[in-house]
Amino acid sequence: MSRNAEKKLIAIVDDDDSVRGTLKELLRAAGFSSQTFESAEDFLGSGHQQETACLITDIRMPGMSGLELQAKLNAEHCRIPTIFITAHGDEEMRFRALREGAVEFLPKPFDDEVLVESVRAALER
Amino acid sequence: MRFPDEMRWAPGSIWPVSLRFGLAFASVAAALGLSLAFIHFNLPQPFATFAVSAIALTFWYAGTGPGILAALLSSVDRDFLFEPQTSAESRLLFDLVFLVFALVMTQVVRRRYQLELRVAERTAELTRSNDNLKREIDERNQAEYLTGQVFECSPDAVLIIGTDYRYKRVNPVHARNWGRPAASMVGMHMAELVGVEFFEQRLRPFLDRCFAGENVRFDDWFDNARGHRFVAASYSPLRSGSQEVEAALVIARDLTEHALASEALRQAQADLAHASRMTTMGELTASLAHEVNQPITAAVNGASTCVRWLTREIPDLGEAREAATGAIRNAKRAAEIINRIRSISKKGESKRQLADVNELISETVALLQNEAKRYSISIRAELHADLPRIMADPVQVQQVVMNLIMNSIDAMKDVDQTRELAIQSRLEENRQLIVSISDTGVGLPSQQRDKIFDAFFTTKPHGIGMGLRISRSIVESHGGRLWAADNSPQGAIFSFTLPIPGEAPV
Repeated sequence: MSRNAEKKLIAIVDDDDSVRGTLKELLRAAGFSSQTFESAEDFLGSGHQQETACLITDIRMPGMSGLELQAKLNAEHCRIPTIFITAHGDEEMRFRALREGAVEFLPKPFDDEVLVESVRAALER
Repeated sequence: MRFPDEMRWAPGSIWPVSLRFGLAFASVAAALGLSLAFIHFNLPQPFATFAVSAIALTFWYAGTGPGILAALLSSVDRDFLFEPQTSAESRLLFDLVFLVFALVMTQVVRRRYQLELRVAERTAELTRSNDNLKREIDERNQAEYLTGQVFECSPDAVLIIGTDYRYKRVNPVHARNWGRPAASMVGMHMAELVGVEFFEQRLRPFLDRCFAGENVRFDDWFDNARGHRFVAASYSPLRSGSQEVEAALVIARDLTEHALASEALRQAQADLAHASRMTTMGELTASLAHEVNQPITAAVNGASTCVRWLTREIPDLGEAREAATGAIRNAKRAAEIINRIRSISKKGESKRQLADVNELISETVALLQNEAKRYSISIRAELHADLPRIMADPVQVQQVVMNLIMNSIDAMKDVDQTRELAIQSRLEENRQLIVSISDTGVGLPSQQRDKIFDAFFTTKPHGIGMGLRISRSIVESHGGRLWAADNSPQGAIFSFTLPIPGEAPV
């Protein structure tokens, strides 16, 4: 059993309502329950960090970006397996995210199979 | 004592008094001398005749006073000529004759003088009339000369058309335009020259309005002997004394070169505006890609979800339908964004139409929302709810709004304080619509604020300095104005007005 087994939550952080909603529905169809947050600040303020088994986050968002969120969680020693989804991905950003411990870096739009596999991988960490 | 003119009936009044009264003495003395000569030669006594003549002569030339004096002198003189025994009755008769004659002469001289006065007045009146007539003739000749010069030397085609649609007069320019002598055109029906169909459809309606008393102005492309020409024409009714329109004065100015130059300028401006839009869109590529990518991602997610519900062991059609519906909705959203981008990127004729400015602002804000988000800028729109629609080119108005928003975003990129962009639309009392875009950015360049609307002036490292210049041209071509001011406590406000047409439906 993975370290993450006791944790239940898959957190989705994206400022775009439609992406956030459809992602939640996609995961539900794949058998996962998840919770959505409008911004990194929302997620941090929710107090769910410790019970989050997988974080799916957009990179570019108003306020704190996805990469800043990752860095802040790392700084607080809260290492949540993170999947980045972005429409602005470039190699440098991808390298930086993976170096900081990201599970996957997916450009939008992404293949649902890849996402689901990445979520599974994150949950098994 | 000075008498009024009608009383000054003594003609001798213009002579010196001495001369006038001297004439009385001289004439009576002459009468006396002649009578004495007659007596000397034993001729019949003619003193009465000579005295009456002397009195008449004096009255006539020296006036009333000397005339009366001549009558008195004549009465005295008769004593030299008559025997002392002449009866008192005879003397009295002479005196009476002289008196009556003097009175008659007084009236005659008075009448004569009144007649002379009247003749003099009439003569003066005739002289004045004559002078006026001469002046009028001179003025008329001058006016006719000038009219002729204007008609003949005008650079425009000038012609007079009778109510029977026949040429009454044409100038050399009109004759040259049609490649025939002016004389050959006089009396010709217009349809013979321009063709029946063209005359009936294009010219006659204007002429009929003119013959009904209306001043008609229009411009259009026409074909004549010089080719396809753009002509601005005015038809003015010519009336006779009875106020009835007898003919139409037609002045036609060939503006082909001007129209072609305007068209070329308009095309160049449109190309420049398009190039500017494309530059802006180029700057927005990343944001626009993100803007389109979001609904596409959502649509793909929906479609994937749908497939997952359908490929379960027991397909869940309800969930699949819901996911597919969401996918369709998001795909349409992506298409709308692409259409918006395409409409603002398109290159085409400037087309004025009734436009909802609030809608144009909202669409532009939607396109730029992501760009603002990228720099943590919040956009607040305060749009007046009941704005009337205006006649405008929607693409151009969106270009102005986009340019101003982009400038505001640029101005706020590097400031540390609150980054807020506010867009306001409102109505002014003088039927103007005002759009204001304010920011909390670096503000207007303090030393060069009057130059920001100049071409090629820019404060951006990679700017070409045409955005505000083009925006101002666009706003002015719509009859409005664009200006900048400081925002309080920081930043800038750019505002532009657009006029609301009087008859435009709300």
